[in-house]
Amino acid sequence: MPSWQDFEPFIVSGLALGGVYALSGVGMVVLYQATGVVYLAFGAVGAMGALIAWSLINDAHTPGWVGWLVCVAFGAVVTLGYGMVFGPALAKRDPLVKAVATLGLTLVLFGLMDLLWTTSGGESRAITLPTDGGGFMIGQVQVDWTQVIGLAAGIVITVVTGAFLRYTKLGTAMRAMANDREITATLGVPVRRVEAAAWLGCGVLAGVAGVLLADLVALDATTLTFLVISSLAAALIARLRSITLTFAAAILIGLVHDLLTPINSLTNYRDMTPFVLAAVALLVLSRGRVLSRSREEM
Amino acid sequence: MADTAVAAARPGQRSPLPRPGTGTLVRAGVVAALLLFALFGLPQLLSLYYIDSMTQVAVWSMAALGLGVLVGRVGLVSLGQVAVLAIGAWVAARLLFATAQPYPLVLLEAGLITMLTGTLIGLPALRLRGLYLALITLMLAGAITVVLATANFPNGGHGFFGYNGSLVNIPPIRRPGVAGSDPAYFRYAVVVAALMFLLVLVHIRTRPGRAWAAIRQSEPAALAAGINTWFYKLWALALASFITGVAGGVLAGADHYLYSIDFPTYYSITLLAVVLMGGAYSLWGAIVAGLLWQLLPSLLQNWGVSADWLTILFGVGVLQVLTTAPAGLADQVPKDLARLGRLLRGLATRRTT
Repeated sequence: MPSWQDFEPFIVSGLALGGVYALSGVGMVVLYQATGVVYLAFGAVGAMGALIAWSLINDAHTPGWVGWLVCVAFGAVVTLGYGMVFGPALAKRDPLVKAVATLGLTLVLFGLMDLLWTTSGGESRAITLPTDGGGFMIGQVQVDWTQVIGLAAGIVITVVTGAFLRYTKLGTAMRAMANDREITATLGVPVRRVEAAAWLGCGVLAGVAGVLLADLVALDATTLTFLVISSLAAALIARLRSITLTFAAAILIGLVHDLLTPINSLTNYRDMTPFVLAAVALLVLSRGRVLSRSREEM
Repeated sequence: MADTAVAAARPGQRSPLPRPGTGTLVRAGVVAALLLFALFGLPQLLSLYYIDSMTQVAVWSMAALGLGVLVGRVGLVSLGQVAVLAIGAWVAARLLFATAQPYPLVLLEAGLITMLTGTLIGLPALRLRGLYLALITLMLAGAITVVLATANFPNGGHGFFGYNGSLVNIPPIRRPGVAGSDPAYFRYAVVVAALMFLLVLVHIRTRPGRAWAAIRQSEPAALAAGINTWFYKLWALALASFITGVAGGVLAGADHYLYSIDFPTYYSITLLAVVLMGGAYSLWGAIVAGLLWQLLPSLLQNWGVSADWLTILFGVGVLQVLTTAPAGLADQVPKDLARLGRLLRGLATRRTT
């Protein structure tokens, strides 16, 4: 069994990872509440944005901040575009159909990434943020600023989103739509515009998560695309409803994942953390809910 | 103008209803002819390269068939079927290395063990609503992929996992005695696939098929009609896992060597994409799905086109199927062909008159 010292650095990295998962998870929960769409392309959009940023910085030699902004803008444009085209077309369908449709977007982006940034050459890419270098010590542990940003971004997004949903007009409209889209529309809320705002916000978060995860984890299309599953796990533990719970679950997933690293017998299995936690949570939480409510058309 | 031509042609188009039984007979004849052609014609016509591709088509058609039962018949979406396929392949490979059992027996055992595993995993998930079931299968597939990456596929080593990392001369996974060569193994795979399709057909035509149809329409209504929905959903899950497990067993012999990187998580998503594109409501759709996924890449590779275009095409296909053509290619192509035929005939009659 490793000593406490072995775990200390992983608490820091786990919190940072959890923070980014929280940011992604909150984005997905808000979008689901406002539009009924589980946005499974979240990771792919962020991954492609990060790869574009990498190309801009390394091939076109633009300053770093241009690349990061383009990444965020890419996430916003693609997500908003998808929401505008396929949101209304699938508005009346089952949530399952809406979720599967976003897998279509995932495949398109995934194919494009494989085509444009081929990985067969074994070329390794990385995005480094200026915040990687500095930092400070807590006890024996080195903490860099990117890790601080990761956790802080998660906290800030959760708090700001919570306040936004509670105190602003647009946020109230989103909460109303989560309850009932039809009635909200009857009350005179511009449903399409509110949905567009949710798509845009989710897209911006996808871009931000893309840059941060490319730095904290790895800049690799497959890895980043499927990291969405970890944030999705956090959102699922919160049953796609509470952003506070999503935040807590994301931090838990990040922490457990990284804290398993120094334990030799479990280190190979640490990537299972989000799946196992989400599966257990869903199965426990769903006890007593047997019937599907509506016709599940496909 | 074309529209009026079609409209004018329509009344003359109405063919007399076939007598009961005729359609079934014709269909059975077509299927038998196609099967005979696949068994005896194709291996003569194709090069070894394409025969290997067609063996993969047979394997993945079975996987698509399993997923098609879940999606098209019961309305359950699984995003983890390739993990189930990997379990089947793993079990078959382990049994083939450990025992000298005949191949069909190994396939049956692989199917049954996969069925047990798949059902045990799915059992609690069945209580969840559609969306949650789909997402939890994605989670479980991710978990299984992690376990497989650590445990590795058997390569002739000892112990439960049968993996020896220091092995230099890795023995290939054996094939059945009657099907050692690639063309013979292709025939073998086609026969196994045909049996699986028959198994599903029998299910659809009998009590479970009717129960599934009721559940897909409305679960509360099915429950009210006295159908044990939980039991029949479980049955569908068991059947799908069994078929996918057998497919994994056939895959083990086809590939000779298995690696965990052959079963990435995103394959499960691609499988769902091709099943939706092929048509989840029709058994033909499963074959179309297999062709789309395994034959098209071989063709593209031959033409020097990157297979990544296919991934993009599948993505577009999913969006297209979900927005405009829910029954997929197996339904859409005959309809479109019929429409085209009517159009051409209409034009022809206009010209002659």
